[in-house]
Amino acid sequence: MNHNERDRSADSIFVDGTEVPYHSAGPSEGDSPVLVMVHGSTGSTDSHYGYLFPMLAFRQRVVSIDLQLPTQGGALALEQLVRQVGAVIDRVSGGKPVSLMGYSLGAVVAAAVAAGRPDSVRNLVLVAGWMKTDAHQQLRNGVWRELRAAGSPAIRNYMVFCAFSPGFIAARTPQELAGMAGKITLDGFVDQQMDLNGRIDIVDQVSKIRATTLVVGCTQDQMVPRTHSLQLFGAIDDARYTEIDSGHAVVFERPAELLRLVDTFLRQPSASAAGSIIPTARP
Amino acid sequence: MNQLNTRPDAAFTDILIVGAGFGGLGMGIQLKRQGHDAFTILERADDVGGTWRDNHYPGVACDVPSHLYSFSFRPNANWSHVFSPGGEIQQYLRDCARDEGLLPHIRFGTTMLDARWNEADRQWSVQTSRGMFTCRVLIACPGHLADEHLTEIEGLSSFAGDIFHSARWKHDVALKGKRIGVVGSGASAIQVVPEMAQLASELVVFQRSAPYIIPRANRRYTEAEKRMFARDPSLMDRLRSELFWTGEYNFAQRRNVPRFVREAKEMALAHLHSQVADPALRAALTPDYEIGCKRVLISNDYFPALTSRNVRLEASALQRVEGNTAISARGERFELDVLVCATGFEATRPPFAKVIHGRDGQSLDAHWDKGMQAFDSIAVHGYPNLFIINGPNTGLGHNSVVYIIEAQVDYILGALAYAEQQQVEVLEADATAEARYMDALDTRAEGTVWLAGGCKSWYVDARSRRLTLVWPDYAYAFREANATFHPGGYLQTQATEAAT
Repeated sequence: MNHNERDRSADSIFVDGTEVPYHSAGPSEGDSPVLVMVHGSTGSTDSHYGYLFPMLAFRQRVVSIDLQLPTQGGALALEQLVRQVGAVIDRVSGGKPVSLMGYSLGAVVAAAVAAGRPDSVRNLVLVAGWMKTDAHQQLRNGVWRELRAAGSPAIRNYMVFCAFSPGFIAARTPQELAGMAGKITLDGFVDQQMDLNGRIDIVDQVSKIRATTLVVGCTQDQMVPRTHSLQLFGAIDDARYTEIDSGHAVVFERPAELLRLVDTFLRQPSASAAGSIIPTARP
Repeated sequence: MNQLNTRPDAAFTDILIVGAGFGGLGMGIQLKRQGHDAFTILERADDVGGTWRDNHYPGVACDVPSHLYSFSFRPNANWSHVFSPGGEIQQYLRDCARDEGLLPHIRFGTTMLDARWNEADRQWSVQTSRGMFTCRVLIACPGHLADEHLTEIEGLSSFAGDIFHSARWKHDVALKGKRIGVVGSGASAIQVVPEMAQLASELVVFQRSAPYIIPRANRRYTEAEKRMFARDPSLMDRLRSELFWTGEYNFAQRRNVPRFVREAKEMALAHLHSQVADPALRAALTPDYEIGCKRVLISNDYFPALTSRNVRLEASALQRVEGNTAISARGERFELDVLVCATGFEATRPPFAKVIHGRDGQSLDAHWDKGMQAFDSIAVHGYPNLFIINGPNTGLGHNSVVYIIEAQVDYILGALAYAEQQQVEVLEADATAEARYMDALDTRAEGTVWLAGGCKSWYVDARSRRLTLVWPDYAYAFREANATFHPGGYLQTQATEAAT
């Protein structure tokens, strides 16, 4: 046993004929529900949850999916990603309700899962998520698609520029920024995710969410401005809201602060009353 | 609270704080701000500042950025650098003591010689170098870097030149053109060495074990930035948060998660490679244990100093001294005029524990014969109404200890408020609660790089191999666990029982 990977293991499940990998780690004893994590656009367990997944595994059982492009072709539908997450929940939950966390597009997927199967999701964490793509997002998404269609090398810098807060970027060296841009995945699945991002509308579903929910907005988010998180906060019955001083790429800018929010929330999900705004901790 | 003084020859004070560094001052400031005035602070030296008063060696600086290594409730817009020099930290603490009205509470030049709990009086009797004090509550703020550690080296006392510890720097000893030896390669040594390299005709550094060193991202704040902070203090809060969470990130390295250990190690070794070209010197400076097991150091000028022509790295310990000759464990001989012992501090067996005696008369040091331990990292069974700030399991390998100190101050304020509301006169940590707390700490510590990294460090008690100095989790987790008083973990004696 490699102690410091907390019994990490990899497995996969077939959904709609597509093999979907997922990772598991952390102690299975204890009463707290297993945490299922859903990454965002262009991401994976290793990239978006490279910090949170192993560190949360020191506190509880965690399972994280690597969303896949369905093999059958056609435009990507939110429902397909929802089915992938649902299948992993069915596989790992042992029939008991889970805690579900999603980031960015993963938060959209997680919200849809929680709405569609209220009995399987007890606690829900939505980080930098949204319900309905608005004109501000479509404008950015349109520029991205033009750059992509033109094969412009500027697309990587554009993505860094959109994802990170101004202060975070300003504090990096040119080499570090080039390294960040170079690590971005661009492939057919990313194209499909960006297309899906442009037409999200889960407004009707979100009102059906019954889970004890934590909504996390990022104060300097230029991709999913915090107003989207505030709208989720308003739409979900048992929701509480808090913020991190970060750009959209909070999983890279402030992973430890996000970990604290998730850790603290999952230990006592109802510690803050439904409808409350949790003040940001001031160290 | 309205206890009579049962020792007419002693000065009674409700709360007695020992030490006027970050811990003692932080405690005093919050008592004062909450309207408590019945406290006295004993300080053995003639000034406040703790380790920042003692350590004034050339090059002294802190490894935590200044906007984080300061009280959250007293931001300072005027820090000169991201990592400000030690003298500025010392001045900051002086300003804190003066501006918060603490100076009238402090007894300078007053050393605690012996403290004993009197079960009959339910008071502590504290013998000092300037008379006897009695108190209801004793708050010890010893710090981890308070008493210098001097390695046992054969013939050291017979050294024919000048010799001093880095924390007791002798500024009147002329160093220009001298042959200087620095013993040690820890946090103090790597700050001293670049300064000595500029003065010495020859400099030798005795290194028992090579440290990992990462770049120090330091720079001066501009006058405009300082005024910006002064004009909008909320910007200091934001910066502090950013620095804090950046520090917290690095706990993943200490937690020994391979990806983050690798990330840190690559950074440190790349720094070594970029600054040292000579393969033999590189090899001698490459640590043989896992990164983070010992304190990770930050410096931009230590490696370059070692490559100077007048500097020699001796990759073995100083073993013996004969007259002016310093002889290393490998048998190398060096003729020296000055020896600087940058050999660190008494950490796992702090001297303050020898003078504090509990309910049954045993010293805390004897009680801790298997290593330090305390319930909630603050209170010890058998030692009623004693709180220790920055004692067992409160150090951090990745973030600011001032944050820990503030959490402990909040805990003590909670305990005092509880005692007043519930009319409790004596609070003593319950032995079972203490054992349970330590078991939980052991579980948190399991597999961390401090225990699994294959090194000898001051974080681990040599007697028990237990991690007794550091808190083996995130700093935020310390605040969540230990900033709130837990009455359930204490044996409690009501004031009314005491009166009968």
